[in-house]
Amino acid sequence: MTTVTEQPTTTLKKGYVGQSIARREDKRLVQGQGTFFDDVRRHGMGYVHFVRSPYAHARIVSIDVSKALELDGVYGTITGDEVAISTDPFFEMSVEPGGNIKDYALAVGRARHMGEPVAAVCAATRELARDAADLVEIEYEPLPALVEGEQALKNEVVLHDEAGSNVVWSGVFSWGDVDQALAEADHVVKIDRLHFHRFASTPLECAGALVEYDKGMGEWTIHCNHQMPGIGAIWMAPALRVGIDKLRFVTQDIGGGFGNKICLHPQYVVLCLLARKLGRPVQWTEWRTDQHTANAHGNERTFLDIEVAVKADGEMTGFKVRAIDDCGAFPRYEPLGCIIWAQVTPGMYGWRNIHVDFTQVCTNKSPVSPNRGYSRMQHLWLTERIVDIVAAELGLDPVEVRKRNYVKAEQMPYETPNGCVYDSGDYAAALDMALELIDYGSIEERRKEAAERGKLLGLGVGSTLDSGTNNFGQSTLLNPDLQFSGNNEAASVKLDIFGEVVVTLGTVPQGQGHETTAAQVVADILGCPPEQVNVRRGHDTWFNAHAGFSGTYASQFAFTGLGAVKGAAELLRDEMVKLAAFVLQAPEESIELSDGMARIKDGPEEAALPFMALGAIVNANNAFLPPDFNPTLNHRYVCRPYFGMVDKEKKTGQLTLTYATQIHAAVVEIDPETGEVEIIDYAAVDDCGVRINPQIVEGQVHGATAHAIGAALSEDFVYDEDGTLLTANFYDYHVPHALDMPPLKTGAMESPSPVAPLGAKGMGEGGGGGIHCICAAIQNALRPAGKPIVYDSCNPPHRVWSMLQDPEATRANVEVASR
Amino acid sequence: MIVKGTKELAASREVVWSVINEPEEMAKLMPGVESFEIQDEKHWTAKVKVPLGLGGLKMTINFERLEEREPEFASMRAKGTGVGALMDMTTSFTLAESDSGTSMDWEADVKIAGPVGAMGQRVLQPIVNQQVGQVLTALEQRVTEAGGDAGD
Repeated sequence: MTTVTEQPTTTLKKGYVGQSIARREDKRLVQGQGTFFDDVRRHGMGYVHFVRSPYAHARIVSIDVSKALELDGVYGTITGDEVAISTDPFFEMSVEPGGNIKDYALAVGRARHMGEPVAAVCAATRELARDAADLVEIEYEPLPALVEGEQALKNEVVLHDEAGSNVVWSGVFSWGDVDQALAEADHVVKIDRLHFHRFASTPLECAGALVEYDKGMGEWTIHCNHQMPGIGAIWMAPALRVGIDKLRFVTQDIGGGFGNKICLHPQYVVLCLLARKLGRPVQWTEWRTDQHTANAHGNERTFLDIEVAVKADGEMTGFKVRAIDDCGAFPRYEPLGCIIWAQVTPGMYGWRNIHVDFTQVCTNKSPVSPNRGYSRMQHLWLTERIVDIVAAELGLDPVEVRKRNYVKAEQMPYETPNGCVYDSGDYAAALDMALELIDYGSIEERRKEAAERGKLLGLGVGSTLDSGTNNFGQSTLLNPDLQFSGNNEAASVKLDIFGEVVVTLGTVPQGQGHETTAAQVVADILGCPPEQVNVRRGHDTWFNAHAGFSGTYASQFAFTGLGAVKGAAELLRDEMVKLAAFVLQAPEESIELSDGMARIKDGPEEAALPFMALGAIVNANNAFLPPDFNPTLNHRYVCRPYFGMVDKEKKTGQLTLTYATQIHAAVVEIDPETGEVEIIDYAAVDDCGVRINPQIVEGQVHGATAHAIGAALSEDFVYDEDGTLLTANFYDYHVPHALDMPPLKTGAMESPSPVAPLGAKGMGEGGGGGIHCICAAIQNALRPAGKPIVYDSCNPPHRVWSMLQDPEATRANVEVASR
Repeated sequence: MIVKGTKELAASREVVWSVINEPEEMAKLMPGVESFEIQDEKHWTAKVKVPLGLGGLKMTINFERLEEREPEFASMRAKGTGVGALMDMTTSFTLAESDSGTSMDWEADVKIAGPVGAMGQRVLQPIVNQQVGQVLTALEQRVTEAGGDAGD
């Protein structure tokens, strides 16, 4: 039975929910018994290696694969020309000009970023495929490379001739009246330029897949680590000119995915073509250098001509900004990033007048994909930079400015100027908690003590919102013709013949502990221990319950994923009660489920049925059931959150549903001789509503914080003027390891979401707070050294050193006009 | 990456010209040359091994003479391919008579693409400097010998 409804919000009476039950996934993982796509083997399988462009931009004059094919053990090759014949370009979501871009699975005629796959070789071993790839002779004619977003606007070099422009999408968002706010302001703070840098996530497991082709059925089975196969199939099937049902995605354990396992469709299409062409299973595991170079990066964004309206008392009433988003060579998941940021338009603040002129462009760099905190992180960094720069320039306390301008707890639920509704939270209280954790009262004393040691000490706060449960209808604010809206997720729960409770998820977990938390929810609803609940590992699009937006992304499992689990478990519970009432000849109201039994409340001890009995009756011993009573004990539920329609004219609407809060606070020490930054104290406070499993929440906070620290201090994809990536390895692109982590203090609050089925909000993407607070702490520490302004989101020692040497160069970016 | 410099050589301009404008002579001066083949007077090919990490980077480099004004100026282009690297270099030199013999202004615009190029100038610059240094030292030695030969 399948049921689709919007669920009323109910907070479960805490039983297993709310407990830090040990993650059930960890036993197999720490024992090396996890099963990843790379563990899947098939008879006769071939290994694929991609031949990648060494140039950022070049015309492909010729490709000669003959020498590779002569090598013993090479099964075959594929080139862009073959791809262009046998597939269609991927569906583009943008309006013109971006909508005219033709994006194929391999480069066709022109390579547009370093590392772009140009051809692929399949051979008997991975090493042989790599050697054979070196024998593919490709003649390139290098073309001028475009590596700056602002430069792209000039269209002196155009990446996609069919688009005729490097602009993918552009539009103006205006809510309230920012010009009036600026006219009435006591101070107008102008910031010429801020830059959010390009970085990515570093999952332990690189991307890849093993693809089998069933010639008889014309179907592919893709054993993979795609984190959003529903969307992957929507891209792949039309390109391959088949129906979606011809693509079966199977995942098991996945070693992390932070958005960069969403845009794998180009490589997967190549694998599908090779499997069909060669008549054998083919396997590809991405090399780490390739993951750095050309998997997918996070969006790089430059903010220009910022003007902020500030009242004399520090109240900020509005701002305007011009944003240029660099999505790399192809808009693979884009232009969604041009609207996703609007989920958090005013950040955590009460700004009512906001004007954003947003343009997204292509450059000769790796394409981007969602990256933990996708698009909102960049915008929230802007709001946080504005707050700290305004405070610094007007001589205000950044903590007080935040508290004055935060949306207040009593205003919840709070509607933003663009119609989003912040569901719950107490930002000021969370900030107080973070400050207490780092002993805010002693900062000046510590600053003095550090100065005596020749160090510059600073405190910074980062406030961020982790918006969860996307309304895909926001895509129509970019392209009114798109046929997407709402969201959904599915799950199934059944009672098997021996009384096992079996759950399948529509989500595709990559380490978030879904098996554990789903078991906790089901156990509470059915009245059995979590150990009795078997949550199937991974996802199989042929056999798991799933819906159009299934996947694990955008901080929504706690809402839609567990909402679907809850809905299916409740349907099963109701049917189990009905069945037990029939068997025990008792009213349904008198039946209770507990300890893995269905029994009559306050009835005799023997008036009880173990779950095994219920499962056996329906599945194996059902002759006595009357014809009009047909329990299945097998239920699928689709959780469909309610958003309503967006207003395409006003560009308003509920773009997402839950808003988890993170307040991060950092204390840093800077060595003025070297620009080296050391984090000496750090606190992260997270409020994601009801915590299903506090330890899992804590783990996500730790991971997001590490991610943020890396991004703030060292992880930066730097390109030279020819478009060559200079930081394509762990030596140059330093990801924090355990020894880089500061002592981490965490705090938790619970402001239950009034709209989520369990009161729980999606979370785990709040790492942006770490970037904001480190930028703020560096700026604060550097105040005695000429008051430089931190204008970039990544501040490795050389950049901090530059600010120390020439603070005026950064200050030239800022101007204050006061009445 | 542009590298350039000036080298004073203790030999006449004609002697220097005869060495550096003769492909086979130059091949002897280049470090790591494993084989050398002349196609015609304007094109030749060398297989070289660049000392880069374990084992070195093997490249096949195709040279093309672009312009020459004997005995003062010549330029050429070199395009090389190797595993993980593409090299495209345009180089030129200008010879002038000087008190010590010949003054050679040289310049090379080197573009490295591919993962090797991704190592950045932090690694490539010292390697290029080392290679150029070795060539110039060998050139100095060779023109001195050639000058001596001419003097005999």
